[in-house]
Amino acid sequence: MASTTGGAASAGETPDVARVGRGPGRGRLTLRREVRAAIVSAAGLIGAPVVNQAGQRVGRVVDLVARLHSAERYPPITGMLVRIGLRVSFLDARSIAAIRHRRVMLRSARLDLRDFRRRAGEVILAKDVLDHQLIDTDGRQVLRAADLYLAPVGPVIRLVGVDVSLGTLLRRLGPRMLRARPTPDRVIDWDAVTPFSEDLTAGPSTVQLRDTDRALRRMRPGDLADLLEDLDRTERQSLLDRLDPETAADALEEMEPVELEALLREAQPERAARLVASMEPDEAVDALRDLPGIERDDLLELMPEDARSTLSRLLAYPEREAGGFMTTVLATGRVDETVGQVRETLRERGEQRGEIDAVVILDADDALVADLPLWELLAHSPDESIEALLGDAEHHLAPATVDVTATVDEVAQQLVRTRRPSVLVVDDDGSPIGRILADDVLDALLPDRGRRRFPRLLQ
Amino acid sequence: MNSTSEVPQTQRGGRRGRLASVVRRSPWLRSTFVYAAALGPGLIAANAGNDAAGIATYASAGSEFTYQTLFFMVLVTIALVTVQTMAVRLGAYTGKGIGALIREQFSLRLTALAMLCLLTANTGLVVAEFAGIGAAFELVGISRFWVVPIAALAIWGMVLFGSYRYAERVFLVLSLGFFAYPIAVVLVKPDWGQVASSLLVPNFSASSGFLLLGVALIGTTVSPYMQFYAAAAVVDRGAGPGEYRAARFDAATGAIFACVIAACIIIATGATIGGSGPLESAAEAAQALRPVAGDGAQMLFAIGLLGASALAGAVVPLSSSYAISEAIGVERSVSRRFREAPLFLGIFTVQIAVGATIALTPVNLIGLLIGTQVVQGLITPIVLTFILALANKKELLGSAANGPVFRIFATLLVSGISLMSVLLLLNTVLGFFGVAW
Repeated sequence: MASTTGGAASAGETPDVARVGRGPGRGRLTLRREVRAAIVSAAGLIGAPVVNQAGQRVGRVVDLVARLHSAERYPPITGMLVRIGLRVSFLDARSIAAIRHRRVMLRSARLDLRDFRRRAGEVILAKDVLDHQLIDTDGRQVLRAADLYLAPVGPVIRLVGVDVSLGTLLRRLGPRMLRARPTPDRVIDWDAVTPFSEDLTAGPSTVQLRDTDRALRRMRPGDLADLLEDLDRTERQSLLDRLDPETAADALEEMEPVELEALLREAQPERAARLVASMEPDEAVDALRDLPGIERDDLLELMPEDARSTLSRLLAYPEREAGGFMTTVLATGRVDETVGQVRETLRERGEQRGEIDAVVILDADDALVADLPLWELLAHSPDESIEALLGDAEHHLAPATVDVTATVDEVAQQLVRTRRPSVLVVDDDGSPIGRILADDVLDALLPDRGRRRFPRLLQ
Repeated sequence: MNSTSEVPQTQRGGRRGRLASVVRRSPWLRSTFVYAAALGPGLIAANAGNDAAGIATYASAGSEFTYQTLFFMVLVTIALVTVQTMAVRLGAYTGKGIGALIREQFSLRLTALAMLCLLTANTGLVVAEFAGIGAAFELVGISRFWVVPIAALAIWGMVLFGSYRYAERVFLVLSLGFFAYPIAVVLVKPDWGQVASSLLVPNFSASSGFLLLGVALIGTTVSPYMQFYAAAAVVDRGAGPGEYRAARFDAATGAIFACVIAACIIIATGATIGGSGPLESAAEAAQALRPVAGDGAQMLFAIGLLGASALAGAVVPLSSSYAISEAIGVERSVSRRFREAPLFLGIFTVQIAVGATIALTPVNLIGLLIGTQVVQGLITPIVLTFILALANKKELLGSAANGPVFRIFATLLVSGISLMSVLLLLNTVLGFFGVAW
């Protein structure tokens, strides 16, 4: 049976091994044979005897404490809660000589016990992490920890992985003998895990981000949206905390309308307002429409002035008309500008690259002359004036427009007729007020692709 | 874990508080008429309680004991309101379903116990729903050996391939047939004096028949799955602490409404065939609707029974799949494809298969219907204990945890229900050894 020693026995290893490797998958501890062989089940340790050097039993393990939230890839075990007699005390990790399956061995006969006081980043494992939700960033799924695996890495014992398999749950239901035996074949490396715990948000704000948080930010908005939908309320808000508003807003745009409504209603109003304001205007309007009137007004009130005025204006259009699902993000250029100047305008609006596929060209009187595809800007030299560019090929650069009251079907027809990736929405005077991209029309035309959650079956 | 400091998850009020006040502005209107017109959650919750098993149990109570069980139903109503309130509070304050809460707050073994109880109770209920479908068709002369397998396949397929939402509305409309019961109560002109005294004066009988039916009445009215559903629905709407009062009001009125319908079934049946012994067939139960529908009573009863059974036939197995998947922590949406959520749909499929198979055994369907409710009644106290323990937890709910008075009251209630179950078990076990009660 494998045993793990926390001390000098493994002195050959670099103490800093937990920081080795940068990219996902590199330097993962659970891939190493010696780590896998030394894994101890945290679930099996709960209730296990604590013995001193002489082999005498002095108490029982109640729970394990780890510094979960820090820059370290693999959280170190900082101590244990131990029941000695009737009292539960904190035992610092430094007094632990080794942990084995179902047994903790102490370094000395003298016990240094004190009351437990949570320090920055510390979490109680069995109570706050085991059996709670966490995110597997490799598999991009929300799971519940069935077991936590510990292993000695250099001089410290670290949390190296999590087990989520059904078999492990059954093992924990079985007799004590079997409960402690780890089954590392289905282990998810801690490097790919985003844990949650209640006091995470209450913790010190200086806590550095681990790589997994970066992995979260690299995830596709659609995957993040799925994660947000699967998480419970506190976990969901905690995940939003860790994403910057732009990433979060992108994910929100991909969520099912009902899920998004629930998320916005349960979030702090200030945060909900900030998130909605960061969303693309057309998606933000959809989200606001789904909210009850009072909550909608509250959110608008809390938004920055420019977002509020844009969204209020869009909300005034009926939902099923072009004005109701267009985006107001428009890049504009003038006939007397050069190609280079227009390119410069676009460069400043990189954040909205998903919304801009052409540049609206206005003449001196602010009248709409053309809708210039980005390709044209690439194909012509920076010095060329827009006027000259239009002169060459005005007929196929004529703007494809729809009326602000056009229906989805009419917009679709216009897209098909003109074979453009988007159409401009114009008001009664013919001046452009928004744009509808082909994918927005797809969204509106495709049948509901949502996942059907059970409680909603009855509504 | 007394050495750790807890951060109670109570939060804010502002925006939600205002919403709740608007919701409260016209509560009665909203909860009865508007809901009935819009076929909203309140009505569905009420109707889900009055499913095939419920109808059979209430009708049997009327047929065997006339109005004698009415006072007991008043107690059951109080129990249902209390329990639903706790379930809704758990959902609103934690934002988690009861399955997840049990897994996070109790040991894994206790979680397994809770889930096993829920699964057993719900599988019993699925048996009852298929028995109900069988009974409905036997009323119009079609053998259940044809109907039950087809119905099982149809419900399974509709849920899997996503067309259930549409069928659900049809079932819901069919099940409205049971709203004929309150009309029947008025038309049948029962002895109102006797009804009133039965409602107000405690009236228990020490017979084992009464005990058996009492446990069945608890099981069918305070169904474990309804508590899981109540919490899940609140969470799903994103309703937070500020909306708790509105959610509680909805839950309470829904519960009272369901119990009023139940009492109407008991009164209507009691007035027509009361005192004729335990209910033996669906045809007998249909007699209670004769004042409304005359010779069409059997047809009306069959339609209502079919609607109610088919409605609950999908919802009940889904609720156990949902709770168990939530506790285990795997994919819990009703996805389109089987392989996306094998556990969820596996549990669903097994329940449907077991339910339909047992409903096909050649036993008396009404006996089977009531028997499954006795099983539910025996399991209910275990599930209620979990909910009570969760709602008592200060570290979970903070100031929204059960106060001392509520705690004593709820504990008494759960103890009372448990006592009945224990008595029934004792009675049954003693019965095996030939000891009569």
